[in-house]
Amino acid sequence: MSDSVLVIDGLTVYRETHLAVENVSFEVQPGTDTAIVGPNGAGKSTLIQAVLGILPRQSGDVFVLGHPLSARGYLPTEVRQRIAYLPQNFLFDRRIPITASELVGLGWDRMEPQLPWAGGRSRRRAVREALTQVEAWHLRDQLVSSLSGGETKRVLLAYCLVRPRSLLILDEAPAGLDVRSESDFYQLLYQLKQEQGWAILQISHDLDMVRRNCDRVLCLNRTLLCQGVPGHTLSPENLSLAYGSEFVRYHHSC
Amino acid sequence: MTIQAELTRIIELFQLPFMQRALIGGVLTGLMGGLMGSFTILRQLSFFSDALGHSALLGIGIGLLLGFDPSWVLLPFAVIFALVVAYFLERTHLWTDALLNIIYSSSLAVGIILLSFRDEYQGGIGNLLFGDILAVQTSDLIFGSVLLGACGLFLGLTLRSQILLTLNEPMAIARGVSVSAHRTAFIVLLSLVVGISIKAIGVLLVSAFVVIPACAARLLSRTFANYVVLSAGLGALSAVIGMIVSAGFNLPSGPSIVATQLAIFLTAMALPRLRVLGQGEPRNV
Repeated sequence: MSDSVLVIDGLTVYRETHLAVENVSFEVQPGTDTAIVGPNGAGKSTLIQAVLGILPRQSGDVFVLGHPLSARGYLPTEVRQRIAYLPQNFLFDRRIPITASELVGLGWDRMEPQLPWAGGRSRRRAVREALTQVEAWHLRDQLVSSLSGGETKRVLLAYCLVRPRSLLILDEAPAGLDVRSESDFYQLLYQLKQEQGWAILQISHDLDMVRRNCDRVLCLNRTLLCQGVPGHTLSPENLSLAYGSEFVRYHHSC
Repeated sequence: MTIQAELTRIIELFQLPFMQRALIGGVLTGLMGGLMGSFTILRQLSFFSDALGHSALLGIGIGLLLGFDPSWVLLPFAVIFALVVAYFLERTHLWTDALLNIIYSSSLAVGIILLSFRDEYQGGIGNLLFGDILAVQTSDLIFGSVLLGACGLFLGLTLRSQILLTLNEPMAIARGVSVSAHRTAFIVLLSLVVGISIKAIGVLLVSAFVVIPACAARLLSRTFANYVVLSAGLGALSAVIGMIVSAGFNLPSGPSIVATQLAIFLTAMALPRLRVLGQGEPRNV
């Protein structure tokens, strides 16, 4: 087995009767940033949800930190602790009364039966350090529902940061932010990536950001159309394959 | 009658064994309803608990037709019914509230039809609809205590998973939380709580015990942990006050408790406005 953080081999996923992802294979190396690009409905979110065991897969193998993901989506708790996942838009019911520090604390917890006060001091210390590192300690007692978009993203990064992780999986993480907040988010994300040595697998629609920051890119439109370094892979020919020729003409004229 | 004499009468009333059992039964029901209700309302299952309550008539009707003691049939029926409904809710493409409406009104209708075949139970329908907390037996209290312990243990030991699951299901699965196992365990416990509470407070009012204290606690809480504890606490508090009001004014007990829950909820709604009024008009500096 290689030392890859993530190995996907021949992954095929159906959503009900619809073939959403077909025979996709790729690897993510430690400390690298891999982007998945493709048009809406290309199967990007389906792919990462299958990688995490959120959706069942039809066929193929998934290895996370060298451990196989079982057909029922099981991975050892130690492996699950090394992954952080932020879903698209982080949509949740804003009437749920949860504070920023409680949310970050959930990132620290082992999701196993335990006493409600388990962790105690070390949990509180980890939460404080994570919130301080993303400059959000002052938000600790605020309800998540009262935070701005940018503040919510910083608290979510603290959720990732509160335990040592090997892999971050982000589904359009900056969605919903304005241009300034999105730029701040990426600046903080890549600063933390540098410090923590995270590998990142992220879905993105921002091809310029992918060119600037990512080590590898996967072009997906149900099947994997191409993969490699962004400078070479995001060529007009490949983009035309993924998005259609109209998109490439428009993109280059902007 | 003076206030002192009235208080003496109420204290004497609570020295009677059936009143003590009723008070303990009310507190147990309030604690269980508040505890499970705190997650029930956030997961938008309030109507689910209502449907469970109404389905009890069907369970009792089936039990009577088969010649079983209805109280023995009620709990297993409630659990099986809840699991079947949860299965349909997961599989259907219809709106949840619409589907639950179909289930609860049709089970109510079939239950009444079944009960109409058994003349000797006609008089029991009133008790079933509105409950009779004064008829609570020691065995009911023992079962209620065991169930409260099970609910507390389950929610306490899995609190972190429950919160993450309530907040965002995909994030919880990504962290290794077994959604189906947690959901099934929660629904089984909720159906048992509803099933056992029906004897005390009736089919029509049972969902109030699950929904109202939790909503009041939500209005008063700033953290999730406080919210869960406060929800259970308000459930118990409203049972105590409701029972005292019921004894003092000779009112039916179950409705008195629900009226108290409503008063607490309205107070929780008014509190932020009262605080703003207390601070006065903002001054221009």
